[in-house]
Amino acid sequence: MPNLTVVISQSQGQNPAKQQLEEELAAALSREPDVAVSLVPHLYDLSAEHSATQLLRQIPGDLVVLSWLYPRGARWILDRQGIGGHEGVSLLESKSVSDDEDHDDKSPAPKNGNGHGEVVIPRVVPDRKIYCLDLRDHSEAKVYLDEVRRITSEAAPTPLDVFSLLKMQPQAERLEKYLRPLDLLAEQKAASRLDDDDDAPGNGEVVRRRWYPVIDYSRCTNCMECIDFCLFGVYGLDQLGSILVEQQDNCKKGCPACSRVCPANAIVFPGHKTPAIAGADGEIGDVKIDLSKLFGAPSAVELAARERDVELVRDGRDTVGLSIGIPKRLKDKPPKPRDELDDLIDSLATLEL
Amino acid sequence: MPADLTFLMGKFEARIPTDRVYADNHLWLQPVADTPGGAVTQYRVGFTAYSVRLLQDVYFLEWSIDPNTTVYKKQEIGEIESSKAVSTLYAPADGIILEFNERLLADPSAINTDGYGQGFLFSMQTAASFMSPEEYVRHLEAGWDKTEKLIKGQYN
Repeated sequence: MPNLTVVISQSQGQNPAKQQLEEELAAALSREPDVAVSLVPHLYDLSAEHSATQLLRQIPGDLVVLSWLYPRGARWILDRQGIGGHEGVSLLESKSVSDDEDHDDKSPAPKNGNGHGEVVIPRVVPDRKIYCLDLRDHSEAKVYLDEVRRITSEAAPTPLDVFSLLKMQPQAERLEKYLRPLDLLAEQKAASRLDDDDDAPGNGEVVRRRWYPVIDYSRCTNCMECIDFCLFGVYGLDQLGSILVEQQDNCKKGCPACSRVCPANAIVFPGHKTPAIAGADGEIGDVKIDLSKLFGAPSAVELAARERDVELVRDGRDTVGLSIGIPKRLKDKPPKPRDELDDLIDSLATLEL
Repeated sequence: MPADLTFLMGKFEARIPTDRVYADNHLWLQPVADTPGGAVTQYRVGFTAYSVRLLQDVYFLEWSIDPNTTVYKKQEIGEIESSKAVSTLYAPADGIILEFNERLLADPSAINTDGYGQGFLFSMQTAASFMSPEEYVRHLEAGWDKTEKLIKGQYN
């Protein structure tokens, strides 16, 4: 009986290399004894009502999510859809995690603060683990397969697996298809060969590209800077006064401005080209240095204000520049001592290899 | 011609020629000989030795605007990739970017070998005023801590 469910979130677009990895994983995981496999459309594009979202909400026990997203992005998209759990720690080498990351096997204790002297909102999360793996990190299916096996070995057994749970649901038939990934893939291939512009396979549910922020509640301090800054009514408050993404469809495609003004880096746009905005953890390990600031890039706040103005003009409204919702905090940290300067330049030179 | 100034980056001496002016985003601007008189000057624009040292070998350069485009200061105009870094490129001032150094698009290595000459990036016309070589060196001295932090922050 499966005690772990692995969800493969399909890539956007038609990149054959990505599709191949998804297929290999679906095939290999289907042969694993203690694993249930599910194949769903790209997580970020799933609406709350989509049948795949409903299926994901039904899954009991520990969950492994393989997606083309930074783990932090994937995790908080799921959270947004009401699919919660403690963060499972993957031992896979990730491009988005810095070297000194503490690989603790236990799920990290909820933080009490984020270095800004404010308290993170306490939240209730189901007692299970969600492991999010980034499919961009490795190109061979075997790496992910091995990690899934390792996670399976440490997964807590569940009294009910996803199959038995679904049997008790009225809409089981609609949802079960996601648990037959190979059939689903074959169906999708057949549909693309026919090349009709009819609805997508199954229930006519079309998945469209979406654009909206997701909040990382492990970092959010409820400081309200995003709600003050966004002039499109995306943010709102719940009954307890906690910030939430209330009207995600008011969000302006491509605009990540609120993420730039967030002092806790708690707003993630999983589809943005800048890793820090898309949910990469800390700084990116083996990526080149970005000298844009040196060559005159506007500050985050200037950029955010300009991005917001562009969207205001598109809506036929007046620009507001830096006059509304601009945080007053100081962004610069005190400078480091100068004597490390030689090391710095030398390190630039030795990195050549 | 007066001797070049230098700015010390660790052990590396960045040469700052005195026959041109400088923008705060580490570009040099040299007035083109046949500029007609008046408030607007036509310049050749390129990376300073300081920029080139931080970039190291340039692999790829791309412009996101067409020649003869009116730009504002800090407007995004292109991208650069080198062995050590990537960066978006920004206009140094309000003005018009007249033309790009086409030769660099196929082979940007002149930026490294002759950054103050054949490795120029584009020509532009602007009424803005810029820093003298002395002022630029002071700008470098004042900004070094920040640059160091910028680079270290990304390596650590």
